[in-house]
Amino acid sequence: MGCAARLLGLATVAGFFALAFTPLPNRLHRAFASPPHLAPAEAIVVLGAGATDDYLSERSLRRAVHGLRLFQRGLAPVLVLHGPREGSTEWEAATRAEVARDLGVLPEAIVLAGGRTTGEEARQSWARLSGEGRTRILLVTGSHHMWRARAMFERQGFEVLQAPVEEVAAEADRPELRLGMARSLLQEGMARLVHRLAGAV
Amino acid sequence: MEAYFVLVLVALTSLGAGLLQWRRQPRPGETLRAAASRMLEAIGLTIVFFLGNVATGALLTVAARALNLTFISIYLSTDVTLLVLSLLQALVYQRWREARPGS
Repeated sequence: MGCAARLLGLATVAGFFALAFTPLPNRLHRAFASPPHLAPAEAIVVLGAGATDDYLSERSLRRAVHGLRLFQRGLAPVLVLHGPREGSTEWEAATRAEVARDLGVLPEAIVLAGGRTTGEEARQSWARLSGEGRTRILLVTGSHHMWRARAMFERQGFEVLQAPVEEVAAEADRPELRLGMARSLLQEGMARLVHRLAGAV
Repeated sequence: MEAYFVLVLVALTSLGAGLLQWRRQPRPGETLRAAASRMLEAIGLTIVFFLGNVATGALLTVAARALNLTFISIYLSTDVTLLVLSLLQALVYQRWREARPGS
């Protein structure tokens, strides 16, 4: 037990130094990240990323702003904003919609949708858009999350154009930022593994 | 260079602590190796506890969703706090394992 624990400890310390003080996370990031494919679509779908009451998380705000920029470029006539309702508090989606309206998006162009997981978001988007024949979408989510999200939306029936958002600095050079990137990669790697095992992607 | 600034800080304070202990320890090299070995063991145990905690969290998440009990986000199981709590678990476990009654 003691010897195995020490070996595991040694591997962990070596891994920590490799992730914090070398460009290893940056290289892994490039391998994980999905490239953008921006083109006209029938809707822009922005996935949720968390909020506390009306305080959007940094990732949520980044995704919303990216979706707004694509909308303002005229790449699609409809903007779908996702985000789950947390108990009786306000929707992440509604807070994002408020930001969108304040930045000049007409209320009739905004569609609010819920969803606590990527799978639920894919189903809710399909329920909102497919009836109007809007099946070619620009999907906005984190660059690490895009591969899994795209697979789920395509399984639902959408034609997906990738519009990834960089949620971590791609060329992070400070240990804290590199560790943040490594954490994001580890989370997504685990999520991909779980989804593959469950047959969800 | 900024990336290595924290290493310089750690090297300087480690040097200070090393100088302090070098005078107090009769065989400083030997005890330093033993201390490093115990540190690696504590980190290894931390990883074991952390993986156990994450796996338990994933199981509870999947079970709660499958049984429609409540919704638990999988990301709650990867909260960075869990790593610190796992370290505390490992330190207590390590000391407990080595403890002798009355010591």
